[in-house]
Amino acid sequence: MDIQKVLSEAAGKLGPSGQEMEIAAYFAEQFRPFVDEVTIDKMNNVIAHKKGNGPKVMLCAHMDEIGLMVVGIEDDGSIRLGNVGGVDPRILPACRVWVHGKEKLFGTIGALPPHLLTAEDRQKNYNAKDLYVDVGLPGDKVKELVRIGDLVTFNVPLTELLNGQVAAKTMDDRACVGILLVAAERLSKLHCDADVYFVGSTQEEVGSMGAMTAAFAIDPDLAVALDVDHATIPGSRPDTTVEGDSLCATIGPYIQPKLLDRLMNCAKEHHVKLQTAVSSRSTYTDADEVGIARAGVPTVLLSLPLKYMHTTVETIDLQALKEGGRLIAHFLSELDAGWEDDLWI
Amino acid sequence: MDLKWLTEFNAPAGHEQAMRRALLDELKNYAGVTTSIDRMGNVVAVKTGKGAEPRKRVMLSAHMDEVGLIVTSCTEDGFLRVAPVGGVDPRVIISKRVTVGDDKVPGIIGAMAIHLQSAADRQRVLGYSDIYVDIGAKKREEAEAKAPKGTYICFDTDYVEFGDGYVSAKALDDRVGIFNLLRVLEDDYDCDVICVFASQEETGCRGSKGAAFALDPDMGIVLEGTTCNDLGDVPETLQVCNTGAGVCVSFMDGSSIANRSLFRQTIEVAEKNGLTCQVKRSVSGGNDGGSMQRARGGMPVVVLSVPCRYIHSPSSVVKYSDVESQLALTKALLKSI
Repeated sequence: MDIQKVLSEAAGKLGPSGQEMEIAAYFAEQFRPFVDEVTIDKMNNVIAHKKGNGPKVMLCAHMDEIGLMVVGIEDDGSIRLGNVGGVDPRILPACRVWVHGKEKLFGTIGALPPHLLTAEDRQKNYNAKDLYVDVGLPGDKVKELVRIGDLVTFNVPLTELLNGQVAAKTMDDRACVGILLVAAERLSKLHCDADVYFVGSTQEEVGSMGAMTAAFAIDPDLAVALDVDHATIPGSRPDTTVEGDSLCATIGPYIQPKLLDRLMNCAKEHHVKLQTAVSSRSTYTDADEVGIARAGVPTVLLSLPLKYMHTTVETIDLQALKEGGRLIAHFLSELDAGWEDDLWI
Repeated sequence: MDLKWLTEFNAPAGHEQAMRRALLDELKNYAGVTTSIDRMGNVVAVKTGKGAEPRKRVMLSAHMDEVGLIVTSCTEDGFLRVAPVGGVDPRVIISKRVTVGDDKVPGIIGAMAIHLQSAADRQRVLGYSDIYVDIGAKKREEAEAKAPKGTYICFDTDYVEFGDGYVSAKALDDRVGIFNLLRVLEDDYDCDVICVFASQEETGCRGSKGAAFALDPDMGIVLEGTTCNDLGDVPETLQVCNTGAGVCVSFMDGSSIANRSLFRQTIEVAEKNGLTCQVKRSVSGGNDGGSMQRARGGMPVVVLSVPCRYIHSPSSVVKYSDVESQLALTKALLKSI
């Protein structure tokens, strides 16, 4: 499997929170060669099942993306925008987008040229409400093709940077679905007793609705959530970021401590570099909801560092991603019947 | 040769070599045209008129350079600090793709994630002291090897045709003018036509200044792209011109006042030939018209611009019919001289 190609293709698939049909269909096909059964459930979660007689494990990474939606159409044909998830309006001026109307329309988000800016303008950030999409069509034609509520997604190809880094939209969190794919591929060549469910989850950006319902349906014995964490960039604070080139495990009240020990030991044994980060309360990932599904699920959180989260140039390290797949494969392969002994002692 | 091809060259002001070489090659195909490079790096293509002497000598200019960025230093952890080359609003380059240097090393311009911003951060405009280009380098030495101080950076945006005859690309200001300057040379005129593919317009109109002095023409016509601001429910008073309404004739802009009789002649030629054109409704922007008008003892100059939305951004937009309109009026004006 060429993981960079998968990420590049995945980034181009439509999937704002609640509208993950296209990306779900794509990831379902990617998982199929490595597992026994793939289904897409009522919440658009992709559930890839590799059958086993051992402990039932759920692994999840979310497929949904932040995006925009049409909230108004001016008489001149310009399209007004609202948020679906946490889009930073500062990234929007001069961004290229797709408007998903009756036809898929190419558009550019407008911005004033420097020549017309007043000194006061220059001190202010653009608000989403001041911005618009230009689809190059007259107002009546736009109103015919586009309706309020239609989705608007970013239109930007993947960029390959130095040192095995790639920048693309939706790497939060499709890069972590990539980790699951690498793990599934590796696991198909390893001995594994565990009953494994790889889940591409939905609606994480609006509160992990997909992971919540998937965890209820699967009823796992234990779970691993995978999400991205902020990598260091110039000006970032060390307590809110991690190094960009290796995986990270979270420590905190929402994380099952013995399971975390097991993950850390597994990393040590297989020489996978693993940093730690602290979440003193909520992790703001699928781990929060999966951990309290049904009667509760012992859960750990593995993170892939990412620069520029919630922009169109989310940047990850491919080697770290592949190491994540290797770690998860070994973790699953080595899960034995006694994993639960002294879990809370 | 087409507009797409021309927008694909990277030619930030002061570093126009790629565009210059391509133009010199292209101009070899034009019969009866004498081509040279002058002391400011302008490409000058002269076509002698068919009329009897003494003939008018008309200088037409369009600039081959574009706005971009330049590397000012590399940080310890391998990021590139940059300054703008020409007028680039820092707010339009956040979260965009660029290419660095002649080897076109891919880079991106990131920003602190929204999750890590305080309420005050969200209000603050990111300026060039905050912005950097990430090429993936991890150490200063690695960054400096790929992008030493002084390396030029361009937007990485492909050419897309969309909507009702619109084009989105980088550098449409002023590749539209370059495109039409080349096409002007396909025709014959009574006057001498001196086409200047100018350098360094975006950093102070320096190329055309040298050329206008050296060539000492009788009059000047500038082919430009100009700011537009016609979309987004903008009050009519703030609109500069409109896409789809034809080439834009300036009575005055930030750098020159059009010669009144030449301005009138231009409008009359358009009317007589049934060509659409519009008058620019704002005194804003500056261009080679200013430097040409003041060369030596001065000369009459008129500026003909293609309306350009989101000019100086990574994704500028023009309507193709306006590009054709600029060509038609330029040719008609030359034929009237």
